[in-house]
Amino acid sequence: MDFPPIALLGQAVVNGIFAGAVYALLGLGLSLSWGLLRQINLSVFAIALSSGYLTYEMSSRGFDILLALLILPPLFFGLGVALQWGLERFKVASFNSLLITFGLTIIVEAVLQLIWTADVRRVESHYSDIKLRFADLFFPAPELIALALAVAVSLALWQVSRRTDIGKAMRAAAEDPAMAAAFGIDQNGLALILGGVDAAVAALGGIGIALVYTLAPSQIYGWLGVVFACVMLGGLARPLGPLIAGCAIGIVEALTMTVASPSWAPLVSFSLLLVVLLARPGRA
Amino acid sequence: MTSFNRRDFIATVGSLAAIAPLGALAQKPTGQPIRVGGSLALTGGLASLGLIHKLVGEMYVEQLNQRGGLLGRPVEWVLKDDQSRIDLTRTLYEQLVNSDKVDLLIGPFGTGAILSAMGVAQRYNKAIVHHTFGIPELAKYDQQFASWALGASPEVTMPKNVLDALGSVGKTPKTIAVVTSKFPSVQFIAIGARKEAEKRGIKEVLYLEWEFGNREFGSIAGRIKAADPDLIWVGGNALDGNQLLDALKKIDYQPRNHFHQYPSPGPLAAAPEGNNALTVTIFENHSPFTDTPAAAAFAKGFKERAKAANLPYTEPETQAAASYAAWQLIEAAVTATKSIDDKTLSTWLRANTVETVAGKLRFNGPNNTGDDLNRIKQVQGGAWKTVWPAAYATSGTRLIAN
Amino acid sequence: MRRSMSILTGLAAILAILPFTGFPASYEALLYLIFLWTTLAVSWNILSGFSGYFSFGHGAFFGIGMYTTGYLSTKMGLPFLATLPIAGLLSAAFAALIGAIAFRVHSVRGELFSLLTLAATFVIATIILNTSIDGGSGIYMSAVTVPSLAPTPSGTLYLLALLVTFATLLIALLVYHSRFGTGLFAIHDDEDAAEVMGVPTFRFKLAALVISSALAGVIGGVNALFVSYLTTVETFNVLTPLTVVLMAVLGGTRHWAGPAIGATAITLLLYSFTGGDSAVVGKIVMGVLLIAVILFMPNGLLGRLAVRRNRPRSADIAAVPERRAVVTQGSGEAAVLLRTSKLAKSFNGIHALRGVDVEVRRGEILGLLGPNGSGKSTFINVVSGHYLATAGTAVLRRDRISTLPAHRVARCGVSRTYQIPRPFSGLTVLENVALTAMFGVAQLGRAEAEAEAWKWLGFTGLAQHAAALPDALNLHQRKFLEFARALASGADLLMLDEVLSGLTPSEIDNAVEMIRRIRDQGTTIIFVEHVMRAVHALCDRVVVFNRGEVLASGAPGEVLSRPEVITAYLGRKDQTVDTAPASAPGEIEASLAA
Repeated sequence: MDFPPIALLGQAVVNGIFAGAVYALLGLGLSLSWGLLRQINLSVFAIALSSGYLTYEMSSRGFDILLALLILPPLFFGLGVALQWGLERFKVASFNSLLITFGLTIIVEAVLQLIWTADVRRVESHYSDIKLRFADLFFPAPELIALALAVAVSLALWQVSRRTDIGKAMRAAAEDPAMAAAFGIDQNGLALILGGVDAAVAALGGIGIALVYTLAPSQIYGWLGVVFACVMLGGLARPLGPLIAGCAIGIVEALTMTVASPSWAPLVSFSLLLVVLLARPGRA
Repeated sequence: MTSFNRRDFIATVGSLAAIAPLGALAQKPTGQPIRVGGSLALTGGLASLGLIHKLVGEMYVEQLNQRGGLLGRPVEWVLKDDQSRIDLTRTLYEQLVNSDKVDLLIGPFGTGAILSAMGVAQRYNKAIVHHTFGIPELAKYDQQFASWALGASPEVTMPKNVLDALGSVGKTPKTIAVVTSKFPSVQFIAIGARKEAEKRGIKEVLYLEWEFGNREFGSIAGRIKAADPDLIWVGGNALDGNQLLDALKKIDYQPRNHFHQYPSPGPLAAAPEGNNALTVTIFENHSPFTDTPAAAAFAKGFKERAKAANLPYTEPETQAAASYAAWQLIEAAVTATKSIDDKTLSTWLRANTVETVAGKLRFNGPNNTGDDLNRIKQVQGGAWKTVWPAAYATSGTRLIAN
Repeated sequence: MRRSMSILTGLAAILAILPFTGFPASYEALLYLIFLWTTLAVSWNILSGFSGYFSFGHGAFFGIGMYTTGYLSTKMGLPFLATLPIAGLLSAAFAALIGAIAFRVHSVRGELFSLLTLAATFVIATIILNTSIDGGSGIYMSAVTVPSLAPTPSGTLYLLALLVTFATLLIALLVYHSRFGTGLFAIHDDEDAAEVMGVPTFRFKLAALVISSALAGVIGGVNALFVSYLTTVETFNVLTPLTVVLMAVLGGTRHWAGPAIGATAITLLLYSFTGGDSAVVGKIVMGVLLIAVILFMPNGLLGRLAVRRNRPRSADIAAVPERRAVVTQGSGEAAVLLRTSKLAKSFNGIHALRGVDVEVRRGEILGLLGPNGSGKSTFINVVSGHYLATAGTAVLRRDRISTLPAHRVARCGVSRTYQIPRPFSGLTVLENVALTAMFGVAQLGRAEAEAEAWKWLGFTGLAQHAAALPDALNLHQRKFLEFARALASGADLLMLDEVLSGLTPSEIDNAVEMIRRIRDQGTTIIFVEHVMRAVHALCDRVVVFNRGEVLASGAPGEVLSRPEVITAYLGRKDQTVDTAPASAPGEIEASLAA
């Protein structure tokens, strides 16, 4: 087997980063609610696909996709708050949150199928014709947009978490809810905001999926494994975690696909995950 | 050959179908309904195709009953949703046979589900007509009948057809890249393509496999571009081809010739990068496929229903035609033998040729196979045009090869 | 338990006869599906529900079983029945490998374990897909003969599935009522405490994982013939492990039969929506139902049943427990029970213990004093085996315990209480105490352990709370529960970590009296404390730690008036520590004896 040329390897790294961007957007919501609220919110996938479908719908009616960036995150922020309110109201903890959100996901999948049928859909936008080229490497516009979104959101959340009072309050509440409450931190309010933010970020992830990939109701589950992996690898509730881990996994997969038979890619990425999880001192 | 003349038979079915719109003239079916039972993947991963089969089945049964049903009795379709799970498929077929006690079975679509249903049919010695079965050599039951004529060895005939088609316009490729999903019904044909290419002295410059459900085609595209083949054989399902072509476009590579195994027809034609994509088809909505009244009515009817059901692509093609043909097989056999006994029907089917919208089907080959009736079509100007063999080509159309 | 077993056996017998009675075969197929998912959910629960280690890898074990049977019966020509035990073994072997690695790593808990098992599923699926086991073409089982255990092939598969399901339920029931099960539940609530109480956590988790996966493997083997066409896409679908978790949690994970109820309910629910017209809407209804059940029954359908009831047996309450070896309280001649030699412990550069030499004599109450952060709790944690010493040794009688895992240390006769009580919140008070009797020095069987537990509950005055959960107790009672738990282990050395903190003065007097009685039973006690009057009242000797080192040791009155000790506590030379008890020792004893 000839070793692939540098350009091919370089492009693989670039592609891996692009893939990581979408993983990051999907994983951020999951990571934050898991780490800060102790809730495993599977509905981020359902939200993402719903957002993706709405993007598709807008696109097929002639609206520019970037309009979706303005409309959908706020819309889903509201939905996220509502969902979080429901979870708080019923005091749903840990693994039960996984199941309730799983139930919601089933419902959403069925609704998506009712509206858009089970056919796989693709957004055709003029953005996919635009690309940057730099030294034999290609940077297509849709992927760049998704990457920009992922980086922006990750950095923003990181700064908010570190610098602002809200961020510190959330981290305090996560570490010791009782203590935080004693210091006057309104956890319910924080949880609602967080729920909204998670949903909004997931909605961005959905726009990313619509831009770069395909949409089908059953695909909700196709993202589960790799996104969970990014979340855990990146460390729970670490805003930069999903992006870095996502890029790492994406790059490993892309390189595997370039150098060996592509069908081995999942083996390499998940084996790597296993090794890293076992080798490093306890985090999570 | 039975005493029932084949030509008479074709005429009968054809004229019966032609009378369909004139429902008033037909006898209203009376008596105990003949119940045909089957399952489809109406939810789950395969549901996109399930809806097509559902629409076709509903249309056919409705029109059949308008024409007087089968043997003067109304026909009822007992349809279940197997949720794209083959363990459920088996259970549902058991239920259909034992609990619902249907008279006849009609199969699901998709290789895995059909095998599941076939097992049940075999246990109870029932005939089963089914739709899109991808691996003929696995279907060993003597009372199973596939309406989609792949022939006995599609891994030989399909690559042969494709390469012959290209050769017919003087553009036999010198190099070939075979890239395929590891989906059973697709992979073995791709491997056959490699063999056929080797036999014809075509150099294989790349062979890649990806797992079913893969989303990342960037690296695959990169390797194809580096290999720069005359022909790309894409062993893909649904939107695999689209994603690959999109990835190639993003690295500024336009394939010279590309063949896709089982793509989703709508998106591939609609995408600019899908231009000149080749694939196989059993039926297209133009002459000569629509030459018989039955076929024309089928095409028109399907389009209407597809639109009403909000399907993104409303043209009838392989899936819909195979579905319709399965019903035609049942009708033909029952009408000819005046019986709903499975053994009788199976014997008749093995001994006769039936004209359907999916071609002239016969079942006397190994594993009840007949000929490979697939034609080659190509995306030209954003629409599918049949290009090979010439007899089936849309008038004035030639295969575009580079 | 006997009742459950007979119900189970009766049900199985009735179901087993069905294929021979001309029962409609379509119900056989539906019941098969119920059996399949019941086996998967119940077997999953043995590890994940009981111990709390939620595995998302059940699909992998199931898939390995399917492909083992698929491969061996087609490409190797083995008879179908012979492949089933091999399927179970291979799954178990794979699980053992995962467990041996994952459980060794201390930080792999909770979510990490879930992800590990999920990742393992993808790894296995890819390997099978890319090698000649499947290779992409799938495995078709039509040529494999179905053994004729029943009039029809589907009847045979039905019977096999029934057999496996019955075995699974039986195993779950037995585990649930066994020491093994109690250990798993303890791990679920507080793994570290369980280990220190003597539960061999690594071995138990591994055993549960192996049993769980073996059963999944065997039913996988049966299922291979049921579906008769194997593809990796279908077999390793991510929805399978998710559905298993859903079924178990719905039914209730703390009960052995909970998952069976959940599996049956969901299978029937899914099946009832298979009519062609209601397919999509049916999914919505199912989602809604699921949410409703979880919201209103968070512990699952059988959640309430899981709390076992124990009725007090009055005969046991008043009895004063006997000790195995009554040792007289010695003086200078007394044997040394525990000796530490240059025992040290650092955490990433922080030296919590800097090489301490401490001697504990049999039958004495040794006070362990010192300001906060001086290493007292660390000392206890190291001696009990919770932490591994960085240097030095600890020797109990003649055994070097500083190199042993915590559960072995417990077996040697060391027990401890926690400053902030850590009872096992899912076990009743009685079960909490019985646990250490089962896993401590005594290693009693279940029945004897419970009898022993009753005695100690009587001793500590908790007998009327035996059937309650620890959450129902107040702090004082929970501290006493810590006592009872530590004592029931039969340990010779009891380490009390600030057991009086947070108690009211009268509760303190109560506790001091209790501790004295404990010592009178022959237990040696290390007593970490800040409440000085208790120290003076109880301790024969004291050792003072400061900054990880031994500062002083000797009689309480003498040591506590040394200047360096005072400085260590207060930082100033001119203040005196309360060197004399608030009242004379005799007065306290007199008042308590009344």
